[in-house]
Amino acid sequence: MTQRSEHAQRVLDLARAEADRFGHRYLGPEHLVLGVLRDRGSGARRVLEAHGMNLAAARVQLRRLADRGLVPGPRPSDAELLDSLGIDLAMVRRSTERAFGGKALGWAIREATRARRRGVGRVPRTPLRDPPMLIGPVLYHAGEQARMLGAGEVGPELVLLGVVTDIRTPWPRCMDNRWRRQLHASVGLSKGYRGAAGFLLAALGVDLDRLQEAVLVELGGVQR
Amino acid sequence: MGEAAPSEVTQVAAATSSQDPEVGLAAVAALRGLVEVLEALQVENARAKGWSWQQIAARLGVTKQAVHHKYAGRRFGFRRQQR
Repeated sequence: MTQRSEHAQRVLDLARAEADRFGHRYLGPEHLVLGVLRDRGSGARRVLEAHGMNLAAARVQLRRLADRGLVPGPRPSDAELLDSLGIDLAMVRRSTERAFGGKALGWAIREATRARRRGVGRVPRTPLRDPPMLIGPVLYHAGEQARMLGAGEVGPELVLLGVVTDIRTPWPRCMDNRWRRQLHASVGLSKGYRGAAGFLLAALGVDLDRLQEAVLVELGGVQR
Repeated sequence: MGEAAPSEVTQVAAATSSQDPEVGLAAVAALRGLVEVLEALQVENARAKGWSWQQIAARLGVTKQAVHHKYAGRRFGFRRQQR
């Protein structure tokens, strides 16, 4: 897989911050769009702005999607939930890491959340791990496009291109499994969730064909 | 776990019973996610220290069949791989 540039990582971090802002306990393609818009000085942002988008409008539309039930409403974070039970999540993590080491904790997290045939005592998600990133297909498409275009690393423009490609590509059937449905349910997403970036861009009146073309032109310009 | 101070126990009971289901249920789910990881960690640690399933089960308060059923198929040996 092609490596992500520092700039793209910053977009991902901003997308996480946006997800937090909406009280979403997952990271989806729709947050990536907001992340690109929030980031300064990327070609991807220029392209989106040229299509009449801005951060404020996008936030308003995402909130409307939540009202329509296409994305979940705000939910308390795991740390807040556990705090309501009198449990300090940060402290549990710290003391566990001190006693067993980070590696052993990582192993236990994988074991407890790993898809198992019998499924006994399996949880879709644990507070000890960051909220799930549901942007696998987006990053896959971004990497594929980078390979085709001969780009060395995935920058914000390719992430945006990945979002657009993801919207236009139906998810493969292997993505529809019990494990994933449980994961989606655990963060309040509906069964049919396939990323809400398509709804977001449609609500903002963006034409996908033109957007894709503009991103490709921007990428060509960057390469030259 | 059984040695929690009374004040903590009542605090937990108050939080779990008095809140609205929206928060209460989600809190229980988060707690379950935490418990399963900690249990896996402790069971693996006990096995690495040579504890039998029977001994582990007695401390967890379940039958040895239950703990074996849950953990026997797992990829233990995290510590062995490290060496």
